[in-house]
Amino acid sequence: MNEELDSQLSAMFDDELPAAECELLARRLSRDELLKARWGRYAVIGATIRAEGGVRLNAGLAGRVSAAISSEPTLAAEPAPQPKKRWETSWWQPLAGVAAAAGVAAVSIYWMRSQVLPDTLPYVATSVVPAVATANTTLAATTASATQVNTGEPDSYVVPKNAPRRLVVPSTELANYVVAHSEFSSPVTRRNLLSAFMASESGTAGTSAGSEEPTEDAQDDAKNPQ
Amino acid sequence: MSADISDLSLVRRVQRGDKGAFDALVLKYQHKLVKLVMRYVRNPAEAEDIAQEAFIKAYRALPQFRGDSAFYTWLYRIAINTAKNAVVSRDRSPIEYDLDRNNTDESYDMQGRMKDPDTPEGLVLTDEIRSTVNSAIEALPEDLRTAIVLRELEGLSYEEIAATMDCPVGTVRSRIFRAREAIDRRLREVFEGGLGRVEELG
Repeated sequence: MNEELDSQLSAMFDDELPAAECELLARRLSRDELLKARWGRYAVIGATIRAEGGVRLNAGLAGRVSAAISSEPTLAAEPAPQPKKRWETSWWQPLAGVAAAAGVAAVSIYWMRSQVLPDTLPYVATSVVPAVATANTTLAATTASATQVNTGEPDSYVVPKNAPRRLVVPSTELANYVVAHSEFSSPVTRRNLLSAFMASESGTAGTSAGSEEPTEDAQDDAKNPQ
Repeated sequence: MSADISDLSLVRRVQRGDKGAFDALVLKYQHKLVKLVMRYVRNPAEAEDIAQEAFIKAYRALPQFRGDSAFYTWLYRIAINTAKNAVVSRDRSPIEYDLDRNNTDESYDMQGRMKDPDTPEGLVLTDEIRSTVNSAIEALPEDLRTAIVLRELEGLSYEEIAATMDCPVGTVRSRIFRAREAIDRRLREVFEGGLGRVEELG
C-alpha cells in the first residue's frame, strides 16, 4: 500500500490532516475495505494503549452495526443545513435596516418635492433649516446680484428665482388652530397663546418687511465691494 | 488544525448517502463507546448491544446532525441516553431481558460463537491482541514509542507533541505513523495468521 496514503490515514485518524485532504481520503476510506481494516486496527492499537479494560477487541461490533445499517434506508441526499455563524446573520441586518430606511426617506423626499408647488418650495426648504436657508439666501442674493452685474446670467444654483415670501406660518393660522382645538387647552393657556400671537403678528410684520432689505443691502454691497 | 474535521468529512459523506463512511466512524469509536457504556452496565456483551443500538440511533439521527458539536460528543450523548434507557428497561423487566438474550435464533448463535470473546477462541484472541500490541510498543525506538504514547494515551495534538519532543510537527506525524505501522505489522499477523478474520477487527 502507498506509504504516503497510509501516512495520511494515520494523520486523519488523529484529526491532523488538512480539510481538503480529509475530504478525498474520507471518500476513499468509505470504499476501500483494506484501508478501512487498517483504520480499524489503528483504533485497536489506541484502545490497547489506553488499556480500555473490559473492551473486547474482536467482538465484531462494527460488523454487526454495518449489517444493521445496510438494511436501513439510505439517508437523504441533502445534508442538514449548516449552522449559520453569528456574523453571517447579524452583520448585514443593521445595514439592511438602515439602507431600507434611507431608501424610504429618499423616495419620500423625492415624492414630496415633486408634490410641492414651485412657489412653496422655498418655504419647505426654509422650514427645515431656516437659519442656513436665510444665510444662503443672503449670500446667494449677493452672488446673484454680482453675477447679474458681471455676466448678466441669473444664478439659479443656490436660490430659486422666486424669493421666499412666507418664512413663518402666519399667526392667524396658528390662532385658528388654537381656537379649533380649544377644547384640549385650558382658557388661561388659550388666552396667553392668543395674546402671544397678536403680539408676534405686529413683530412679524416688521421682521418680514425688514427681511427684504438685506437683499437690497447685498445688492449695494455687490455694487460697492470692499 | 480545526478539531473534528476528519469526523466531519465522514459524517458529510454519510449524510449524502455513503453508508461506507459510517463504518469508519464505528470502527474508530466503538471501543470508546463500549467503555463509556460499561459505566452503566457491567456485562461486556450487554454494553456492546447498547453501543450497537446507539450507533444505529446515531445513523438514523445523522440527518439532524449539524456539526455544532464534535461528532463524538453528539454520539456520546446518544450512547448515554441509550444506556440509561436500557438500564431502566432491564430493571423493569429483568426476566424478559434475560429471555431475550437466551432466545436468540440459530443464525445469531453461530455468528455469536464466532465473535463472542467469551468463547475460548475469543478470549485467546483478545489476550493475544493485547500482548502483541504491548510487545510491539516495547520494541519501538524511544522516539516512536514516546510519540505514539503521547498521542494515544495522553491525547496530545501533534503540535503539543512537537513542543514536548522539541521537533517539527512533520516529524511527529512521521513518528506516529511509523509507530503505528510497526505495531500494525505485528497485529496483522495475529489476525491473518491467527483466525484469519481481518474483518472481525471491529
